[in-house]
Amino acid sequence: MKRYIPQFCAVVLLMIASCSSEPKKLPILGNREPFEKDLNGKKVMDTIYQKIPDFSFMDQDSVIINNDSLANKIYVADFFFTSCPSICPIMSKHMLQIYNKYHGNPNVALLSHTIDPKHDTIPVLKKYAEKLGVKDNQWHFLLGNRDTVYQLAKTGYMSFAAQDSTVPGGITHSGYMILVDSKRHIRGAYDGTDEGQVKQLMSDMDILLAEEKAKKNEK
Amino acid sequence: MRNKIILLAIIPLAIIIFISSCGEENIKYQRYYSDGSQLYKIHCQNCHMSNGEGLGQLIPPLTDSIFLRKNREKLVCYVNYGLNDSIKINGIDYQGQMPAEKHLAAIDLAKTLTFITNSFGNNQGIYDVIEVQKNLNNCK
Repeated sequence: MKRYIPQFCAVVLLMIASCSSEPKKLPILGNREPFEKDLNGKKVMDTIYQKIPDFSFMDQDSVIINNDSLANKIYVADFFFTSCPSICPIMSKHMLQIYNKYHGNPNVALLSHTIDPKHDTIPVLKKYAEKLGVKDNQWHFLLGNRDTVYQLAKTGYMSFAAQDSTVPGGITHSGYMILVDSKRHIRGAYDGTDEGQVKQLMSDMDILLAEEKAKKNEK
Repeated sequence: MRNKIILLAIIPLAIIIFISSCGEENIKYQRYYSDGSQLYKIHCQNCHMSNGEGLGQLIPPLTDSIFLRKNREKLVCYVNYGLNDSIKINGIDYQGQMPAEKHLAAIDLAKTLTFITNSFGNNQGIYDVIEVQKNLNNCK
């Protein structure tokens, strides 16, 4: 009986090793719909995942940012306004940590949508970015029509923003940071005010970047 | 045996002396400081951050001890009435608006300021409620 122990150990080790070599994968979040498609004459089931809808906004450098400019990139999106006294500063601080970590990485972008377009004009956004220490064009502070942005938050990012005179600053919004892949699928949502969640976001970004890289190599 | 009795008498006496030497002032300071840390979390931390370092050149840090000492009388005005014009700290001009916290009672202002002026590298003693009331009356 005893002589089987080494073999047993080897099998266990092999199992552990094969487990860990499997790369981690993030889920695809949001609504989904099954549909039938033709594959070589056979009918197979497939799934349509929720996608971030088309958008086109102007950033702090008056550059149009749309889905084409974000092709082949993963990005993190959040909603804020420059005069926000509540959760925005802590979210900006955490976005800044992400920005500093992925600084210069051509596959990563950051989007901060202002939800107060009346006050946050391009020069205001530019000044905000500069004072935060953002000097290049990796982090976009986006200006768009108010209702379009609110609608995008709700239907696109499963987040929310709305006017509310009862809260400080006059606009209420969620503190979520949304991770989006190059196919415009939502791959994660994190509480941008929580340091632990933001750490999780950054480690998930590494997982997503590895996945995107593997996909590119397949092609 | 006799030595033991003396020792038993001395130990409680020593404890009493030790406790009373802590002093009422010190207990008051401790209470202000610990309540202040809770108030700071609710009213200040979102912008000035948990370590008091602020945010870039948008929100000033609370770590400039010299500024805090020089402007000690005005601190309570800043918190109570907010700030609309620029403020220079560590050589950097901060132009953002600071929201007023008018709903805070004088005692809460005192506790908050005690916490701030004794954290983040500052060590300036208690900012008590009498001082708060006096300085509030002199706010411009």
